[in-house]
Amino acid sequence: MTPHDSEQARWFVDEVLPHEKELRAWLQSRFPGAGDVDDLVQEAFTRLLKAHESGPVVNPRAYLFVITRNLALNQLRHLRYERPPDVEEMDPLSIADDVNSPPESIAKKEELQQLIKAIQSLPNRCRQVMTLRKIYGLSQKEVAVRLGISVHTVEAQGSIGLRKCIEYFRRHGYLAHFET
Amino acid sequence: MKRSSNNFPENPEIERAAANWTLRIDRGLSAEEQDAYSQWLAEDPRHRDAIAVYRWGWDEFDRLAGLQTTHHAQIDPDLLAPGNRFARRSRLIKGLFAAIPLAASIAIMVMVFWPNTALKPTPFASKPAIELIARIEQKRLDDGSVIELNRGAVVETHYTPEFRRVTLVRGEANFEVAKDPDRPFVVNVAGVNVQAVGTQFNVRLINDTIDVIVAEGIVSVSAREILQSGETVVEEPLLEVGHRAVMKLGDTSRFDVTRLSTSQMDRELGWQPHLMDFDDVRMAEIVAAFNRSNEVQLVLGDASLEEIQLSYSFWSDNVEGFVRLMESSFSMRAEWQGSSEIVLRDASGGSL
Repeated sequence: MTPHDSEQARWFVDEVLPHEKELRAWLQSRFPGAGDVDDLVQEAFTRLLKAHESGPVVNPRAYLFVITRNLALNQLRHLRYERPPDVEEMDPLSIADDVNSPPESIAKKEELQQLIKAIQSLPNRCRQVMTLRKIYGLSQKEVAVRLGISVHTVEAQGSIGLRKCIEYFRRHGYLAHFET
Repeated sequence: MKRSSNNFPENPEIERAAANWTLRIDRGLSAEEQDAYSQWLAEDPRHRDAIAVYRWGWDEFDRLAGLQTTHHAQIDPDLLAPGNRFARRSRLIKGLFAAIPLAASIAIMVMVFWPNTALKPTPFASKPAIELIARIEQKRLDDGSVIELNRGAVVETHYTPEFRRVTLVRGEANFEVAKDPDRPFVVNVAGVNVQAVGTQFNVRLINDTIDVIVAEGIVSVSAREILQSGETVVEEPLLEVGHRAVMKLGDTSRFDVTRLSTSQMDRELGWQPHLMDFDDVRMAEIVAAFNRSNEVQLVLGDASLEEIQLSYSFWSDNVEGFVRLMESSFSMRAEWQGSSEIVLRDASGGSL
């Protein structure tokens, strides 16, 4: 094990694993039809680990809940006989956790600041769409309801927002983080 | 393989398309869109480069999840508006923090893993042949109802202010009906009427047998002549979720109703495309998965292809898109053998 690996392992045990039980319970109560809970939780852990390894994450707990919900909604879409139920919005209280709230120092990391500023630089509608989808983890449909606009507009504004953000990345050197 | 996209070239048209696809993927692609997406990817290697960057960029923002969850945990679309408390504070700390070195050893998002970097696009030599595959098609009607047509199925629609009538001329189709109690949705199949209000069901006409399966809601089946406006048909026996009614063309006055288990429903309705997610899966297994759900069978002509591993998502019916991708991005050549077999061969000239 390299020092980096053990550091990552410790972070996982300290910051991620404590949320597992609650995440599973939440998943089972909100998405009873969404396939194998183990698979979903495993996939969310994997993504969080990859994200954490390549840069900071504001709030591991919120990341887990948001990613897991995206995965669950995706699965429901692909199960042919069960239309996604009208799932309640992501309750901010369920992803909030005072004990493990994001330390100020994390939100101040340069990469996160770049992401925040990219969103801040957007026109109003694009900014609202990106904020609701990414920071609060609402689905595109829920963003539409929340903002009182059509799902089509959400998709269009999100697309414009993303293009402008990539443009922002390009001008501020953030694309250097991308590798394939 | 490491390829930094520092120099990701600017191309407004491609980037607009890449951003649009990213948002569609985020909300979930329909089977039709999945075909169009595969097509778009195969058209130009720059499309793959662009979508990789855009999907990565989109996912990067997930790092901000839960940015504000503690003090007033209320959803605020203007959390990052200029002049907002959060925005002012973030300006204050501008530039105070040095970038931390990134552990870049793991690719954040790998769309297609390929052990060899030789991504040599080849022209679509056998493209016309592949288009011979009859496709599962989707028809969206004005009222929001959706008809999924199995290969070779034919329907005709006749909408009037009182009725939504659809005739299944031949084959098999799945109907997802938009709710409108004042305007019944009636599928006529060989003189038999299948009526629904808001529901999903499957109708198949093969040889002399009509087969109706209800996936959602309630439908009635009636062998009477075409319904008159305003006439109700609810006195007919009703079929519920999981029910299957089978009748013979010569004697449509009676039909047998059975109840299907969930797995039987899955099997019966399995022709409808579903998403197959592959994560570092051997080519041999991917081909086997396609062959289970399609009439057209894929064959790997060179044993060397079997061990190639791919991470990719495909709709089960998208043989065409899959074959095109193999040709355009993985130096393979597709050859038809007869009308229902495609052989994939290594066309890289031994450089694989």
